[in-house]
Amino acid sequence: MNQTVVSYLSQYEFYDIILEAFGNNEGLLAFVIYSLFAVIIVALCATIGGLGTYAERKISADIQQRLGPNRVGPYGILQFLADGVKMMTKEDVMPFTADKMLFYLAPCLALVGVFATLAVLPWSSGFIMADMNVGIFYLIAISSLVGVSVFLGGYASNSKWSMLGGMRGASQIISYEIPVTISILAIVLLAGGMSFGAIVGHQKGLPTNWFIFHNPFAFVAFFVYFIGALAETNRAPFDLPEAESELVSGYHTEYTGMRFGFFALAEYIEVFVVCGVAAALFLGGSNLPFDISFDILPIQLVEVVIFMTKTLLLYYVVIWIRWTFPRLRVDQLMSICWKYLTPIAIVNLCGCAIWLVVFNGRSFAQIVFGGHH
Amino acid sequence: MFAQLLFAMSALLTVGGAIAVVVTKNIMHSCIFLLACLIGVAGLYATLGADFVAVTQIMVYVGGIVILMLFAVMLTGGKDFVSRAQNLLGLAPSMGNKWTFSIAILVSIVFLLTNISLIGNIVRSHAPKTFGNDYPSTVSQIGHLLVKDHVLAFELSSVLLLGALVGAAIIARPRKQ
Repeated sequence: MNQTVVSYLSQYEFYDIILEAFGNNEGLLAFVIYSLFAVIIVALCATIGGLGTYAERKISADIQQRLGPNRVGPYGILQFLADGVKMMTKEDVMPFTADKMLFYLAPCLALVGVFATLAVLPWSSGFIMADMNVGIFYLIAISSLVGVSVFLGGYASNSKWSMLGGMRGASQIISYEIPVTISILAIVLLAGGMSFGAIVGHQKGLPTNWFIFHNPFAFVAFFVYFIGALAETNRAPFDLPEAESELVSGYHTEYTGMRFGFFALAEYIEVFVVCGVAAALFLGGSNLPFDISFDILPIQLVEVVIFMTKTLLLYYVVIWIRWTFPRLRVDQLMSICWKYLTPIAIVNLCGCAIWLVVFNGRSFAQIVFGGHH
Repeated sequence: MFAQLLFAMSALLTVGGAIAVVVTKNIMHSCIFLLACLIGVAGLYATLGADFVAVTQIMVYVGGIVILMLFAVMLTGGKDFVSRAQNLLGLAPSMGNKWTFSIAILVSIVFLLTNISLIGNIVRSHAPKTFGNDYPSTVSQIGHLLVKDHVLAFELSSVLLLGALVGAAIIARPRKQ
């Protein structure tokens, strides 16, 4: 059954009181709750995206033994706000020969594609905008809008750098979708469902119940997923679409001001989303440790904090990787995807299926230490 | 009210996108309007409660077909395909002559009448379904149908796709001199 944040809140008494205040108009109240949650989540994610740029600069400064931004606010933490103001007040330049409509459309598509994925991100067991039965499938599908936007941004700019970057970006994103999707499929197999509620609900209790430790194949699938996700979000060492040493700035070379800001924001939020998906699929998501369960509202906030902690740790790893590894060549990129990751992912999928049949769905820890299913 | 709003938006996107695909002169813009049209169709599936089909529509068309089309158009000329040809009603790009146009109009009228008679029967015999906050999932039903009742067709279609993949690889492979 599809669960939503409205159906979660409706089990509390205050929901009925508010419903009366709305004149028992359930549709209107649902609309108001959805809008409120959408505004909160989008604002939160925009802030996370902004702070992501700050974190990126600060962590890279740490790695390279520099100071990083330290002028605006304490430890330079308000730098992202200053950058935002700068972006918005910059002149909006468009190349004379650019394709106007597509040039305007591309950054919006990038942001729409990323924000649409937030609808199914499981912040906690109750705070999930729509826990659809096709949750993870929807997330994979709608995030392919970002690939279209990268391609369009490259094409519409009518510049050689942008064109090459856009073509690289689109081919990279559609290639790496395959190992990522097959790795996710292995987890869908273990959970027996595509909704985030079912997947996270299966990993309750000790960390040994997390899907990453379920069996050796799932353990490998996590790394395949993570590498593929890095490539799908155009992060280093797979940042060929915006390789600054070859392509100036890739598909967003010709973009200025807030249009460039849209692309940058979309990239940082997308990194957050793929890290959140990794946390939910493999690392237990928002479950409280030791299977504690109180069905009261403040516990949901604790769950949100747990989810955010796992996600932001992975976010740190993504930034760490960027400032540690050199960029790949195009042929290396493609051979990693098609000759290594895809076969490994397919073996993982088959391995998970065989494991489920042979050990009757029990995890590695349950076999070693005993315990019930 | 939600369902009606979603239906109105999806229908507008579908019909508007479809008209724009035909009317626009730039083939890249046509591709993008086609994208809007296909997303609208996904929305229509969603209003019917077919969540899996709706998401598959987005997955296949947005993630695959449209990007493929954009690649194909761009690698074969892209913007140079702007058509200036105009005939019959002044619409462009217009392919064919008055014979093909009259046949097309005839076919579309027959198609429209068939559809109206088909849909009319359904509308008369079934009360419109209303969806609340929760509606049954189609994922498990589709899964059961695919790997139980129709497993042969399912497997055969995958063999077909494999054949297409191998064929493409053979055609694209550089020949040894």
